[in-house]
Amino acid sequence: MRNFIINLAGILIAFLLGAIVMLFQHYNPVETYGALFGYSLENMYSFMTVLKNAVPLVLTGLSASVAFASGPVNLGQPGQLLIGALFATIGGLYVDLPAPLMIPFLILLSMLGGAIWSGLAGLMKQFFNMDEYITTLMLNMIADLLTFWAISFPLFEKKANHPQTPRIFRSGWMPKIGDFNTSVIVMLLAFAVVWFIFYRTVSGYEWRISGKNSLFARLGGVQIEKNYMRVMLLTGALAGLSGGLIIMAGPHRFIKGLGANYAWDGIMVSMVANNAIVGTLLYGIFFSILQTGSLGMELVTQVPSELVTVLQAVIVLVVVASRGYFDMILKQILTRRKMKERTS
Amino acid sequence: MNVIIGLINGMISSATPLLLSALGGSLTFYAGIFNIAMEGMMLSGAFFAVLGSYFLHSWVAGIICGILGALLMALIFILFSIVLKVDEFVTGVGLNMFSLGLTTYLLRQIFSVKGAFTNPGIVSVPRIHLPFLESIPFLGKIISGQNLIVWLALIATIVCNFVVFRTQFGLRLRAAGYNRTCLDTSGVSSNRIQAISLIICAVLCGLAGSFLSLGYVTLFSENMSAGRGWISLAAVILVSGKPLGIALVSLIFGLADGLGLYLQASLPSQFTAMLPYVATLIALFFYSMKSINTKVEI
Repeated sequence: MRNFIINLAGILIAFLLGAIVMLFQHYNPVETYGALFGYSLENMYSFMTVLKNAVPLVLTGLSASVAFASGPVNLGQPGQLLIGALFATIGGLYVDLPAPLMIPFLILLSMLGGAIWSGLAGLMKQFFNMDEYITTLMLNMIADLLTFWAISFPLFEKKANHPQTPRIFRSGWMPKIGDFNTSVIVMLLAFAVVWFIFYRTVSGYEWRISGKNSLFARLGGVQIEKNYMRVMLLTGALAGLSGGLIIMAGPHRFIKGLGANYAWDGIMVSMVANNAIVGTLLYGIFFSILQTGSLGMELVTQVPSELVTVLQAVIVLVVVASRGYFDMILKQILTRRKMKERTS
Repeated sequence: MNVIIGLINGMISSATPLLLSALGGSLTFYAGIFNIAMEGMMLSGAFFAVLGSYFLHSWVAGIICGILGALLMALIFILFSIVLKVDEFVTGVGLNMFSLGLTTYLLRQIFSVKGAFTNPGIVSVPRIHLPFLESIPFLGKIISGQNLIVWLALIATIVCNFVVFRTQFGLRLRAAGYNRTCLDTSGVSSNRIQAISLIICAVLCGLAGSFLSLGYVTLFSENMSAGRGWISLAAVILVSGKPLGIALVSLIFGLADGLGLYLQASLPSQFTAMLPYVATLIALFFYSMKSINTKVEI
């Protein structure tokens, strides 16, 4: 409960700051926020869009949360997402299976792609002791250029006027039930699996302990190196999965700039959720509401949709700051009370 | 011969923004701050430099605005990480995203364009032509005609090296990172030293950003820092912050970048553009091998 109030207070402060910026530019904040939330929540269709857009946010967020909470600073979600998407695209272009086989095949392929890319950083750490937060960042840039090359030359769709691949086979498209895209089901399944592994298995326990205090975990008999590699592979697979699902649910082809900011947004989601698994899901959906609504905001009030990117960063900073600040104030009050008891 | 001159000039101009922001990073590194916000500071600097240069019709105003833009980011960093004690890593990532969002938002709001803003009204930073040295064969073409900010970067390297190792402030700076409690108990606020290091870092990153948007090219495009802040972070870590080492590493990365431009004839540009990042990984590899061999496993 306390946690909820702190988060809510942080979000409200962030919105207030956003409102002040809008007032400076002579926009009406009430109308703007109304348009923002109205667009993403006014009916079933828009809410379904929110859920669909939340898929990559939640999955990359989970990837970052599991990694950060277990120790490895895997900042490679953007690259792992792109490689996962590339693998799914290649599978979808050259293999044609019936849909019940095709969809799991592409999903596994995208997870494999992400895991290979994060495993690469994991191996560099394991064998050469290279810090993963730099290697994953560099691999992000390399993945960006590699996929750009792949869609510009070998997989380029002829007659297209900007880099993109042809559409993947229809059997690889995520089916839709009405407006509901089934990629959301895959996301929820992944969430359930991650939650179970993290909170209900021995490995998950070991990861959490290693994340909190790796020396203690080592003394307790946890094999840090083995767990490190497992975490890297799992988190890479999650980020890869999000890339694969973007392809299979959305444009059905690899377009330049695909998932441009999703992965960094996912990292922000994990930070604002304090690496908690359920919190990541909730904040992922919340950020998706903001991002989906930003288009409506731009249509109705002419406030550029990029404002939401600013707002997200402010939310992250303010929520994390207020969490620490409230904790500090609470501790101060408790100490004061204790001191009074002692003196009286 | 001309190829070599072109390569060296390419190396120098690619190395300059890396060098400047890595010098800033080295100061915060010595002060014990895990500063990953160089990327955001540089991007903000690049945007505000274009803004100042375009509206005030002067490159001096452009550089000043660029530095102010980066300072804005530093002040937010100080507010959150030093005053409110938010985790430095979270602050850094948040700030980088904030900078990306803010510059993209303002790009649309002020210039009404998406993607990139280019206009003949943007005044770029001049190149310095040295009339007598120009006539020296080979060297003349390198020494003369460099951008003003390239020289500033060179001066900044020497000054940084002097300040860190030869002045009272440098001693306090290193003490803040080495043992901040000790510094606090000797009567110097380590928070203040850290804040000052962040402000100087922002000035240098602002210069780096100004070089990107007013020297290297004369335009601003979305996310134009393109990971240079991250590479400079890697450079700082590779040489444990030593300013002269940073200069050397920046030149190596610059060479990789310049080499990429030459190889474009035979390789797709996407692969040649990977070179600086691959070079970073290779450099990190050698650094790690060295530290594995010298350190005893605990």
